[in-house]
Amino acid sequence: MTAKALHPDRNFKYWLIAPAIFLLLLIGLFPLFYSLVVSFMRIDMMDTDTSFAGLYNYKNLFTDDRLWWSLAHTLLITVIALPIELVLGLAMAYLFLERMPGRQVFIALLVLPTIISPIVAGATWRLMFDNKYGPINQIISWVWGERVNALWTINPSLVYPAIIFCEVWQWTPFMFLILLAALSNVDKSQTEAAEIDGASFFRTFRYIVLPAIWPVMAIAILIRGLDLFRIFDIIWALTQGGPGTRTETISIYTYVQGFKQFETSYTAAIAFLVILLLTVICTWAIRRMGLVK
Amino acid sequence: MSDLKITKLHKHYGAFHAVKGIDLDVPEGEFTVLVGPSGCGKSTLLRTIAGLEEASSGKVEIGGRDVTWARPRDRDIAMVFQNYALYPYLNVKDNIAFGLRARKFAEPEVERRVTRAAEMLGIAHLLARFPRELSGGQRQRVAIGRAIVRDAILYLFDEPLSNLDAQLRDDMRVEIKRLHQEMGRTMIYVTHDQIEAMTLADRIVLLRDGMIEQQGSPLDLFERPATRFVAGFLGSPKMNFIPATATASGVKLTDGTELALPAARPLKPGQAVVLGLRPQYIAMAGPTLAPGHARVPVTIELVQPTGSRVQATMPLGGTSIVAELAAHDVSRPGEKTEIDIDMTRAVIIDPETEKVL
Repeated sequence: MTAKALHPDRNFKYWLIAPAIFLLLLIGLFPLFYSLVVSFMRIDMMDTDTSFAGLYNYKNLFTDDRLWWSLAHTLLITVIALPIELVLGLAMAYLFLERMPGRQVFIALLVLPTIISPIVAGATWRLMFDNKYGPINQIISWVWGERVNALWTINPSLVYPAIIFCEVWQWTPFMFLILLAALSNVDKSQTEAAEIDGASFFRTFRYIVLPAIWPVMAIAILIRGLDLFRIFDIIWALTQGGPGTRTETISIYTYVQGFKQFETSYTAAIAFLVILLLTVICTWAIRRMGLVK
Repeated sequence: MSDLKITKLHKHYGAFHAVKGIDLDVPEGEFTVLVGPSGCGKSTLLRTIAGLEEASSGKVEIGGRDVTWARPRDRDIAMVFQNYALYPYLNVKDNIAFGLRARKFAEPEVERRVTRAAEMLGIAHLLARFPRELSGGQRQRVAIGRAIVRDAILYLFDEPLSNLDAQLRDDMRVEIKRLHQEMGRTMIYVTHDQIEAMTLADRIVLLRDGMIEQQGSPLDLFERPATRFVAGFLGSPKMNFIPATATASGVKLTDGTELALPAARPLKPGQAVVLGLRPQYIAMAGPTLAPGHARVPVTIELVQPTGSRVQATMPLGGTSIVAELAAHDVSRPGEKTEIDIDMTRAVIIDPETEKVL
């Protein structure tokens, strides 16, 4: 046998993984670069002109009120829904920390909403919120004592409560499950020692429980924060961004621009704005939360 | 006044009956050790005193106040946990100060007390460190510091030394004893280690299967055990148990050896008994036989030196017994010799009831 056969080409392994890498680049990086290129052009589906536009699309971003409003809507939903999900999830996790009969069954039932696809959840809640046939108005009518006809998905002052309710309904269990796991890992003798030391619930939480669950909690907040920033399905199913553009989030606006208005290049520019924002927020959050030492 | 009074305390975990009707009265300033084999209910009893477990029935009074249903924080107790239970995200100083701050002590007072406790325990130089930066012994000191910094009526220790190595355990034992003498406070200490119990306790409460088997001073339990279990649990090496039959003047072993008992015991001749002999009360035959002693010929089987003393194993009365002898006395294994047994210290047990007669 030759030396070559005993020691085969060391680079051979790279050749073996090359097709997979190539495929990943093709479906991952290529669209990214392609849309970057598109964002500097003048492509839309109405015109054959595809000439180079320079920063024209990016310049338009700054004067597009509808874009900034959609960003504001997104942030509004995030800053309201995220804390509610966090606090509710934490409270539920505390509740289920104790052993009790039927605990497993209850946890499984509570987690169900998270398993449902968001678009299905949205469609379901649209039916629930229906002003004529939906059970929500019926239940409120029973409690109120007279017929209530709340237009949950149309009335401008009710759409946000409806959206946030659905969002909280679907994703609180996610927080609950993660925080339950984190809380179960807190050393019980430490909380017992604090109890004997005379610490209140909040002092114990602040100095003992929170630092222990923080790494897990921070990641849950990050994941849910990013999800909320990209929220689409629930709102699309409930209101399609309406009434008017009142509940249009950044994802919905991007979708409308790309696939209703067919402003391909401008949509690409919006997409890059979102990527930029998320990168900055994520990097800041990861540092701020101390997730990376 | 008693600092702790427990009346008819029961604790059930589902079908498991962990504490079966315990009555206990601990006077002020006493160091009480709850000792027993694992699963005897000693930790459950301590946790019920602390309020970490709820009593199934019965009454717990601390400092004359009924606290059976009070929360741990309202019981005026301090506790040291087996695994230290230090707060990992607070430094040593904040760990010790945690309870004081929780109880809204003024900061200068907190400072004063923490400094004093740290000095008592020799950890003043560690105040800025975090628990993960401490050795096992240092962590234990911090845990004790956290307890003694407060003015509690009761100080509870849940096997505090069991996670330390043998050398440190001895040091900390001395430390705890010294602390008790300095502070003069009531302490309840749980351990499964009979040496810890013997050395630390003013009073030992020996538990078995959720009930008190016997309580009293360490010497009391050592010299006058009430049952075979107590006799066997305390003392190292363990007490020798030899089956025998009562005679008019003493006992007769299965090999025919007759041993006279100096003091009259309530024995019926012919009654089956178990003779209990502590290894410490057996010695090599001296020039004269001391009164109350019995001289027996034996063959030494096995010799285990422990330094100044030697544990010698030898057959007697159909069983194998251990004697703790002075090191210079002992000859080689296989040698025939004579031993003197101090029969005034002998324990006679009824094999039926396991009670000492």
